[in-house]
Amino acid sequence: MSPSLSNLKDTDDGILVERIQNDSDRRAFSELVRRHQAVVYRACYRVLGNREDARDASQEAFLRAYRKLDTFQGRSAFKTWMLRLAMNVSLNQRSRRELPRASMDLAESISGLETPEAELMKSEAAAQLHEALQIVQPNHRAAVVLRDLEGLTYRETAESLGIAEGTAKSWVHRGRGQLKELLT
Amino acid sequence: MNVENVEELLLAYVAGELSEEENEWVEAALVESPRLQTELSRYERLFVLLSAAATEEIRVPADLRTRITVQITLNAYLDAAANLLGNVLGAYGRALIYFLRLA
Repeated sequence: MSPSLSNLKDTDDGILVERIQNDSDRRAFSELVRRHQAVVYRACYRVLGNREDARDASQEAFLRAYRKLDTFQGRSAFKTWMLRLAMNVSLNQRSRRELPRASMDLAESISGLETPEAELMKSEAAAQLHEALQIVQPNHRAAVVLRDLEGLTYRETAESLGIAEGTAKSWVHRGRGQLKELLT
Repeated sequence: MNVENVEELLLAYVAGELSEEENEWVEAALVESPRLQTELSRYERLFVLLSAAATEEIRVPADLRTRITVQITLNAYLDAAANLLGNVLGAYGRALIYFLRLA
């Protein structure tokens, strides 16, 4: 008997992946999308700098995940594997563009039109950082996004970017250094 | 450890990523070097900006999940239709499907 939607919500990522691998269960995949779409979209958005590209990249990353799910062996968490696909798509998408698109809608997207002054200052600070991020070298930017903005460990950052942990530390360090020069 | 080495550790120091021993090196060097103190202030400012950006709310498009699931369903139907057509029409059908990039 197929599980109800509420059962799916309580099911571990690994079990959902098995359901998809064994039975091509699209409801199980839809549940994985529900759980991970926010982190995938945020990471794409921060690397690409605008909402339209982030939406396209997130969609492409999930479609690739569904097609490639047979190759997922559970050595890393599904979230890390998913972020790796999202970063691949985002970095390739970005390198295909001749000129980076203006990231004017970054500031727009920050929520809280009715926020108090402190929230407004926080939003302005975040917008300032995002503007500067778009100037940072793409690999270093992706590393800073995953480590400093998404809060991944260095190991998870390395796995998400398909690089060694030492390289991840070096990319984060270089990205932070460039941001410091741009912003302070 | 020289000043350049300590400078490399400053943001990690601000972020609380260093070992106790590295913290002690950084703190000892800071006392001695006004330049490092200035750099520390810059890294502290950056850390505030990073923290603000990390907590910002970024809204996921409301239709993202629907777009993904619709596309996956559509791809599954197209694959099934292409397979059926290939079986019915044989090698010529498969060549046509390949040519039209249906599967």
